[in-house]
Amino acid sequence: MKQMRSLLAALPDDDLTFLGSSPYVYHCHHFNLFHDQTVDDALGNEQAFAVKSRAAHEASWHLLADLVKSADAVTPAERLEIAAAALPWMGHGRLALLTEKHGGTARGEYLHYGFSWQEKYGSRVRRRHPADAFAAGWAAAATEVAYDLPPGSLRCREHACFACREAACTFEVEGGGDANLDTYVGKETFERFISPATVGQNEDTVRKIAAGLKDFVAGIESDERGLVQGFGVYVTRHLANYYDQTAYDTIHMIEREKPRVTEVIEELFGESGHVCVFYTCGGILASPEWEALVGPPENDPESIVVSCTAIARGLGFGHWSIAEMVPGERLVLQASSNYEAPFYRERYGKSEKPRCYFFANAARAFMQLAHKVDWQERPQLDDALYQSLFKSNLGWDLEMTRCQTRGDEVNEVVVTRRKA
Amino acid sequence: MSTDYLADAAKGVPSLHAVLVTAMPDCLLFDSWLEEGSSWQAEEIATYLGDLFRANREGLKALSSWSADMLVTIESPEHYILLKEVSNDFVCACVFGRKTALGMARLYMQRMLERIAESLPVFKVEERPRGVRVVDFLDRYAPDPHAVLLRVSLRTGVPMAALEKPESLSDEHVAEIEKTAASILGLETLNI
Repeated sequence: MKQMRSLLAALPDDDLTFLGSSPYVYHCHHFNLFHDQTVDDALGNEQAFAVKSRAAHEASWHLLADLVKSADAVTPAERLEIAAAALPWMGHGRLALLTEKHGGTARGEYLHYGFSWQEKYGSRVRRRHPADAFAAGWAAAATEVAYDLPPGSLRCREHACFACREAACTFEVEGGGDANLDTYVGKETFERFISPATVGQNEDTVRKIAAGLKDFVAGIESDERGLVQGFGVYVTRHLANYYDQTAYDTIHMIEREKPRVTEVIEELFGESGHVCVFYTCGGILASPEWEALVGPPENDPESIVVSCTAIARGLGFGHWSIAEMVPGERLVLQASSNYEAPFYRERYGKSEKPRCYFFANAARAFMQLAHKVDWQERPQLDDALYQSLFKSNLGWDLEMTRCQTRGDEVNEVVVTRRKA
Repeated sequence: MSTDYLADAAKGVPSLHAVLVTAMPDCLLFDSWLEEGSSWQAEEIATYLGDLFRANREGLKALSSWSADMLVTIESPEHYILLKEVSNDFVCACVFGRKTALGMARLYMQRMLERIAESLPVFKVEERPRGVRVVDFLDRYAPDPHAVLLRVSLRTGVPMAALEKPESLSDEHVAEIEKTAASILGLETLNI
């Protein structure tokens, strides 16, 4: 989509990517579903849908405003058309917006969350609550932008969902919204909170691979369903603020209302880091595209960690670098920039404890992939392998030693072999 | 795995591929005989067939048409699978190739069951704590089993340390986790 491509921007030295001023990253459906599921588990389905659709609304509004401005779209019809075309470009499926000034309806097909949930879990679990909170927030924001309504004045509910075995996803957009567009975390915010790019071990290799991967993923197009399928997963170009807001708002609620399970929710959001590294980094490493770009992965822990670090940069996770790597023993991973800390600092101020859960747990998963997977055997990266690697066989401890959410210069995690 | 009494009962029965004895109500394999060269996983088959038999029994009870003599017959393209209660504690499954007529398969099974029933021990099923059974059920059926106890803890507020010792859970906690397990699996209730 031409308009979306015209908005592509980056802080290239910091390995961060933006659509207009909105930070975006690449994440797969395994990560997305696990992340949303954790919000659901923490808050209950109804409150979770409200939190998620509000976060989606707030993250999407600025992107949609940038988009219609850049396209010089004046009429509501033009603007709604642009919003409808942008969602498939991001790999989120198709959403027909049938809204007017005071609301209306929307109808989704192949929406990323509902469709991929049904594909991943549908044969094992009957779902009874809708899955497409992101699309709901998008629909509310798109309608506000289309009709120049006050930001945050609308809300959207999903009445039928493909994940619940209904034919299509249907939404109702109406008044009574509570999204707060006053504080926005955009490119300028990131520039205030990140540090100069660090130089790690194997820096030239990491940089070179990351550059090749960035070129590759930037050219990815969605299919006729509005989905992006590659590396064995459904990939989204997703708004990072959505992840941050849903995770941190949920964790804060748990800290206030159910403090005795704070560690549990931190562990679950961290678990999504394992999920991402296994399915996305692993899927990329095992792909023919990777073989063409870098060569087949080898059973060399250092090389796998270097590759995973480069992939993290290539997917827009920030400037991750290897401060120390002792195969079989220890990894010290740093990030002078990532997508978690700037959001936290802007929205909530300084934290008393480290809170880059995704970054920290991804580092541990790097070590697991580097030491426990036989890459030369071309493994099938499926649920069975995941369970064998991450259910009870996790031989690594981690400590977040520095974190920008706490005001430290960089984010740093130390992963060490767990003593028997 | 094969025990003498099962091998003896199976001896000479044409087109017989497997005999599996499942302990109820936990649906765990008690004993099995598989024809030579079979690659089937007896534990897995026994568990699923046990679940199937239990669901069938509960369904028939709901229809007020259950009887202990009930024989469950499954006709797959390649096999007849026959399931029958041997006693309150055991269900026996026999898998026949379709070369054998269904009526003959039932007859062979009836004869085998008479011999098997004599050899089965008087087996008192240990009544495991309900909390243990709920956790086992989740481990078997929930998606993302590596994280399911964390999910239950987050939903219920019951600490992980308590969930890791389900035999010691209070009745109140067991009721909570059972309700949560049903919700995670999209079920109205857990049939355990």
